[in-house]
Amino acid sequence: MSTASAVDKSSLRWRLGPIWSLVSLLLIVTAATFITASFGKSLQVQVQYALVSLVIVVALQIFIGTSGVLSFGHVAFVAMGAWTVGLLTIDPMLKENLLPDLFPFLMHAQAPWVLAIFIGAVVGGLLALIVAPVLMRLNGLQAGIATFALLGVVNLVLTYWSSIGPRSGQSMVGIPEVLDYKLALVFALGAIIFAWLFQRTRPSRLLRAAREDGIAAAASGINIVTQRVIVFAVSGAVAGVAGGLFALTNRVVQSSQLYIDLTFLTLAMLVLGGTLSLSGAVIGTLVFSAIDVFLTNLQAGIDIGSLSLSIPQGTRPIILGLILVLMLIFRSTGLTGGREFVWPFRTVRPLPGNPPTNE
Amino acid sequence: MSTADTRQGLHVENLEVAYNGVPAVRGISFEVNAGEAIGLIGPNGAGKSSTLLAIMGATPRSGLVTVHGNDISGLAPEKVVRTGLALVPEGRHVFTELSVMDNLRLGAVARRDKSSYKEALEHVLDLFPILRDFGHRHAGLLSGGQQQQLAIGRALMSDPDILMLDEPSLGLSPTAVDTVFEALDVVRKAGKAVLIVEQRAEFTIAFSDRTYVLHDGVITLSLKPEDAENVEVLTEAYFG
Amino acid sequence: MNQLIQSLVDAISAGAVLGLAALAIGLVFGVIRLANFATGEIITAAAYSLILTWDLGWYISIPISIIVAVLISLLMELAVFSRMRNHGPATLLIASFGLSFLLQRVYELIFGNNVRTAPIASGLAQSIDIGGIRVQMLSVTTIVLAAVLLIALQLFLTKTSLGLQLKAAAADFKTARLVGIPAGRVIGLSFALSGILAAAVAFVLTVQSGAVGPNFGVRITILALIGAVIGGIDKISGSLAGGFLVGFVTSMLASWLPQDLTNFKDAFVFVLVIGVLLFKPSGLLIKGRGVVRT
Repeated sequence: MSTASAVDKSSLRWRLGPIWSLVSLLLIVTAATFITASFGKSLQVQVQYALVSLVIVVALQIFIGTSGVLSFGHVAFVAMGAWTVGLLTIDPMLKENLLPDLFPFLMHAQAPWVLAIFIGAVVGGLLALIVAPVLMRLNGLQAGIATFALLGVVNLVLTYWSSIGPRSGQSMVGIPEVLDYKLALVFALGAIIFAWLFQRTRPSRLLRAAREDGIAAAASGINIVTQRVIVFAVSGAVAGVAGGLFALTNRVVQSSQLYIDLTFLTLAMLVLGGTLSLSGAVIGTLVFSAIDVFLTNLQAGIDIGSLSLSIPQGTRPIILGLILVLMLIFRSTGLTGGREFVWPFRTVRPLPGNPPTNE
Repeated sequence: MSTADTRQGLHVENLEVAYNGVPAVRGISFEVNAGEAIGLIGPNGAGKSSTLLAIMGATPRSGLVTVHGNDISGLAPEKVVRTGLALVPEGRHVFTELSVMDNLRLGAVARRDKSSYKEALEHVLDLFPILRDFGHRHAGLLSGGQQQQLAIGRALMSDPDILMLDEPSLGLSPTAVDTVFEALDVVRKAGKAVLIVEQRAEFTIAFSDRTYVLHDGVITLSLKPEDAENVEVLTEAYFG
Repeated sequence: MNQLIQSLVDAISAGAVLGLAALAIGLVFGVIRLANFATGEIITAAAYSLILTWDLGWYISIPISIIVAVLISLLMELAVFSRMRNHGPATLLIASFGLSFLLQRVYELIFGNNVRTAPIASGLAQSIDIGGIRVQMLSVTTIVLAAVLLIALQLFLTKTSLGLQLKAAAADFKTARLVGIPAGRVIGLSFALSGILAAAVAFVLTVQSGAVGPNFGVRITILALIGAVIGGIDKISGSLAGGFLVGFVTSMLASWLPQDLTNFKDAFVFVLVIGVLLFKPSGLLIKGRGVVRT
């Protein structure tokens, strides 16, 4: 009898353990959001941007963390999502004035913003799916360069092709103000839950196994490219959602905002937290954003009692860059070291097995 | 160093190597003295190459390694070479895009006595006349046996007291193997120490003054040249 | 016909610049497996040096820019990359990406967001007439400059002991150390040479534009990095050839694409790159389908 209950207990813990790894993340993100938002309007806006970043980073983690392959291209899917939501939510009258060269069907197309985000996800996912069979055969440096080339192509097309957006290099304005930080939080939590569930699906598990032991995976007949294509497309769709959220948060969309700097910042967040776990994506984004918000306000000047603190304009991104570089030098597995959180105060390794050693 | 260590040659004590926590070499000890040829044999994965790389400082290790009584722990490979130790790596690894002469020149980068460079080069070219003939050819164009000669010549250019070779006979024709081992005999007779890691047991045992059998990272046997004839000992060495 | 030759000269010159930039990346990669995205910021630093000191005379300004480039390059190695020896190429690439971002912001802080201008070697901005064909003086100068640098580099790599050591280390770093070639020496040397090449690139680009801003080196570095990878970043000649190819193609596209498509010229290059990577992942000049050593 006592042994049976012991088994029950351990199996319960076995099942609860991973669920706690999700719940604790959701709690942390929710708490961080509301605590920060309670400090006033301007912080609510900054929190909303952080939540958008969180969705991008989760999308990155779904692919990079699972496959072990570098991608500099995800911001291309973010851009597609942002473009889609921009085009579908700006008033057609406004579009005729601001975006005169649009294809007629784009000129008239309209959708409620939630549906627009969904369509953005489809567009991002589809682009990922189309390019994936080509890109997913590459590894390491080549994969990094090829995904970057994709970002370059998408960026140039969005910058200069006025049939699908503003004239060269200009911005799309007039995106309605419908999203607040609470709604953004809902999407961010949804992305985390989705990623957590997706980790447990077959393609994701196969790809992790292949990442850890490529030879064994190949021997057992796993077609790595196929699994990668699936995971890439899924993460592309999540990135598309993030793009939609970005458009509705920023309310101005310009291709130059969706290029190298955003790629760098989101990768930095992921690397800071640790690429190998979902916790890494979440913790990395939260910590990075917290530092970012703190520095932004410090640049504007913070009053603590009679003391007024401030740092010169322009030092914020320098400190952020320094943090990433120092992190890579001293702890390249990130804050979480590739582990998942389990409440209370315990960490478990990601499913399954060990984080791969560098080199 | 409180107690002066005056021993000559290479001394390995309690050498351990592990990769990601998996032990490859588990505490082996042996010595190689001037004028001696020592063999190190064992099946694949026994830890032979790891032993040589660890001695060179090319892979992390624990244990004591001394050359002429000097502790070389923590030295980078390029520093270890300057203490009088040279390794001819497995697979030869000559610089294929450089000429034979340039390969030899690079071997001399670690010479302690630069003034005797010319004589050393002549010495190597006398030992391996083929290298003289092909001096300006790209090393990549040489045959496997010629590349092995070049790799040994390059190692000799650093004027080592102890020459270590990782599977010098791998992939070579029987005549090429003979050439290589004849040269190694000359090197040994010149008073240098030679440490040979090999898979070809019989051959190595017959050539070496002493041969250690490495199995699962441990030295299980020490053999003398006459054991080469003894099939039982050999079988035991490999399958015991 | 005339136009064809003009565009060919321009394309060769553009290829030469990108070839040099790709070489700056490939030299370092060969030794420590780092595809240094921050090479762009070395170029930018050299360009700022040129623009800000041009008044003092070219014979002062050019040496200053070379020294600055070499120092920044070595500093990157000392401060960042020397501490990351055990990491794979992907992690190193991300680190250099971060360093690039960081330095751009530093430049922004020091020099402001607006471009700084100075007429660098304005004499080179003219066209000259060679047998009835008008060509840019700068294009010709660039080609000559690149040729001189490449010959000098080739002599250095084949005729001097230090150069041979670098060449050997770039081909097989592990064996080079076993042979006794000091790691620190060749790594430092590769970063220094990379700095010199970056300064040359900066010179040509500043003559062309006469202006420098914080992001000055980014575009050329992206193209050079891409060129190095498709040419075969594992080999010095591969990087050079790949960089040349990308520069050549980009320039030809700029000359010959219909007006309304010229904005997309880089996009065509990117697509080309993906195509090349698909068929020759290890690079055009590398035999077989091998994967880059890590």
